[in-house]
Amino acid sequence: MKRINPASIFNFTSIFNFIFSLLLPFVLGAIVVALLGHDPQEALRELFRGAFVGRLSLGTTLQKWVPILLTGLAFCITSQVRYFNIGVEGCFYMGALFSAGAGFLITGLPWYFHIPSCFFAGVLAGSVWAAIPGVLRVYWQVNESCSTIMFNYVAIQFAGFMIVNPWSAKSAASQTMPILPSAALSRLMPPSRANSGLFIALALYAAVFWIIRKTRLGFKMRSTGANPFFTDYMGIDSRRVVVLATALSGAVGGFAGSVETMGVYGNIIDGFSGWLAFDGMLAALISKNNLWLLPVYSFMIAALKTGALGMERFTGVPKALIDTIIAILIIFLSMDNLFRFRFHFHFPRRKSEEKAR
Amino acid sequence: MDPVVQMRNIHKQFPHVKAVDGGRIDIQAGEIHALIGENGAGKSTLMRLLYGMYPLDSGTISVGGNVFSAPGYSTKEAIRMGIGMVHQEFMLVNELTVLENVILGFEPTLRGGRLDFSRAEENIGRYIEDYGLDVPLGRTVKTISVGTAQRVEIIKTLYRGAELLILDEPTAVLTPQETEQLFSILRTMRDGGKTIVFISHKLGEIMEIGDRITVMRAGKYVTTLNKKDTNPAELASLMVGREVPGDKPRVRAASTETVFSVEHLYVASDRELSTLRDVSFSIRRGEVLGIAGVDGNGQSELIEALTGLRKIQGGTARLFGRNIVGEKPRAIRAAGLGHIPEDRNVRGLNKDFTAAENLFAARIDEPRFGGWGILRKGAILGYAKNLIETFDIRPAAPEVRVAALSGGNAQKIVVAREIDAEKGFLIACQPTRGVDVGAIQAIRDTLNQAKARGVSILLVSTDLDEILTMSDRIVTLYKGRITSELVNENVNIESLGLAMMGGAQS
Repeated sequence: MKRINPASIFNFTSIFNFIFSLLLPFVLGAIVVALLGHDPQEALRELFRGAFVGRLSLGTTLQKWVPILLTGLAFCITSQVRYFNIGVEGCFYMGALFSAGAGFLITGLPWYFHIPSCFFAGVLAGSVWAAIPGVLRVYWQVNESCSTIMFNYVAIQFAGFMIVNPWSAKSAASQTMPILPSAALSRLMPPSRANSGLFIALALYAAVFWIIRKTRLGFKMRSTGANPFFTDYMGIDSRRVVVLATALSGAVGGFAGSVETMGVYGNIIDGFSGWLAFDGMLAALISKNNLWLLPVYSFMIAALKTGALGMERFTGVPKALIDTIIAILIIFLSMDNLFRFRFHFHFPRRKSEEKAR
Repeated sequence: MDPVVQMRNIHKQFPHVKAVDGGRIDIQAGEIHALIGENGAGKSTLMRLLYGMYPLDSGTISVGGNVFSAPGYSTKEAIRMGIGMVHQEFMLVNELTVLENVILGFEPTLRGGRLDFSRAEENIGRYIEDYGLDVPLGRTVKTISVGTAQRVEIIKTLYRGAELLILDEPTAVLTPQETEQLFSILRTMRDGGKTIVFISHKLGEIMEIGDRITVMRAGKYVTTLNKKDTNPAELASLMVGREVPGDKPRVRAASTETVFSVEHLYVASDRELSTLRDVSFSIRRGEVLGIAGVDGNGQSELIEALTGLRKIQGGTARLFGRNIVGEKPRAIRAAGLGHIPEDRNVRGLNKDFTAAENLFAARIDEPRFGGWGILRKGAILGYAKNLIETFDIRPAAPEVRVAALSGGNAQKIVVAREIDAEKGFLIACQPTRGVDVGAIQAIRDTLNQAKARGVSILLVSTDLDEILTMSDRIVTLYKGRITSELVNENVNIESLGLAMMGGAQS
């Protein structure tokens, strides 16, 4: 992983490019809206209102931000060691499932013991689930992009089985029994489902950031990602570091699932996620694993997803359009060379450099 | 005599580096012109500009009376003017035969587009006979030796009509015998009327083969001399820009205590040539054992095995009496090993990390660099500053990224870290490869000081001068076996070269 120098990110040129890449998809989206026969101005206004105006809108944006930020963070952790972890979704399910289980099976605890126990169950389940493909990769050379995808399906089907059979609420919808009130996170902005998991998530984000930058484990992870040969030669077991990174990533993914169960739904419903972790992965990918940018992009995706609901309700513009805009956005942000405008302050020198290339 | 090639006032800027900054050279027809300078002095770049591989920033090139300036000069032009270049890395297709490689792109054809191999063979045969460029035309390139591949490259440029051949550090990959053979080919070619530019930084070679010598330093033209008017010491100081102290006389080790020994070692490799079979040797306290051999005869495998990075299949390796077979790199380090790896860019350094991070990495788990898993930046920087000062690493900035350092200073980081890490045994692999003359001396001095302290050193190098200067004893490694063991007294480069090829047993 390249060392991120804040000064180089926050300079004039890159901010211009950044804003340009952000705006262009909206312009294209507006054109599509116009072609569909709607008023683009109105659509954008409703999109904005749906995401930010009013307790319900803003609260929903914040509620959606938490899992996208955390699953994106989980993806970034493994990217530090050059491990392409598509399996966050599986950890997300495992975390949600096991904290739900702990939420209604453990009884008689006060909330300040019950909530941590539920988190612990979810985090443990997530990290074990993520570490298995990690172990397979480093000791048996099983390609992680294949195994993690498969582990997603296994986790989803396993959760489905638990939801329908042993832990079923025996209601019409396939869902588990509700967690006890002592395991529920407090709501922040009713009627939205934003909850105090937001603060724990931000704390976790800061903690992971700190681990990666300042601790021995973080150094070993960055070193493994930058040059595994060097790392091994230094006497650091790069394989162990990769496994630790996957476990940490799974823990964060599992934590994200726990917040969904304990803060948002109160139980777990079959198919509740809808590949949410992939939105997180997108946020991580477009921020190029830059931990400074991750909150910004994940918040943006959450806002777009939330605003899309309002836009559809009030203008009839299909919310699928937002997925299109997000897709275009991703393409523009990933093609960072396309819009790399350079601001030439020293023309003659630049020219000679250009030629040298 | 009028120069056939004149380059004047040449400038070439690469991103971040001014590679050539006022370069010039006059090459006369029918001479062997040596172009010398330290690594990064701009010699290769200057010649690549002559061959049209990069566009010129400014300056003029005149070839046989045709004058070219900044834009509008290309490889196509260069080839048309009879210029050919043999690069450091060969540009051959491994799967094709020698003959096919030579004619590739310039195939003589019969009617209907069929290749006329017999005519091609005839054409090439002329060069083989005239210049003694002995190559097996029918073999595929992947089965021939490095020396032969180089001759194929020379034939290739001749076949394309080159009158002026540029050879970029041609001897770097050759054994002394192959070098000798190459030199006699070059002399024959010169006497046959060809012009040759010979790029090198090895003074001994230059004095042997060059007729005239152009020295470059830091991208700039320094001077052009006739060989008979100069000497190696003068050339060295011209290259470096100051007096270079020579190697100090070697001090023999006196101790009889064995520090490290290897017995009947077997190590697998992807390639047959470098699979180690029945390798045994031992090193005494304060002794330097040199392992000589042409690159790729098992040196890398041996080092990786001894440092715990590659699996040992059979045999024992004892460090201070303890068997280290099967141990992890960390345990072997803890047992007293320091290891300067053969390639600082692959294993030796993490280029995106800072000097300080690279320096302390081997000691990352020591409590003084952080309790509770939290790294202490102050302790790391302090440790790094200390080493940077002791080993004179420049710039003396612990937080500068290693990628920004010169080769010599980057290598000094590796050496500093490993000298500081070893507890009595050091494996030094190509410790001075790709570093400038000043740094070579500094690194050798450092190793000799360690030796004087009683550190045993296993020195692996393809640079025979280095082996002969530094080692107390020498073993030669050829096709994964030890072919001879010599005490370094009255050993000369020829006998060593012969032993390296598995020839003489002594």
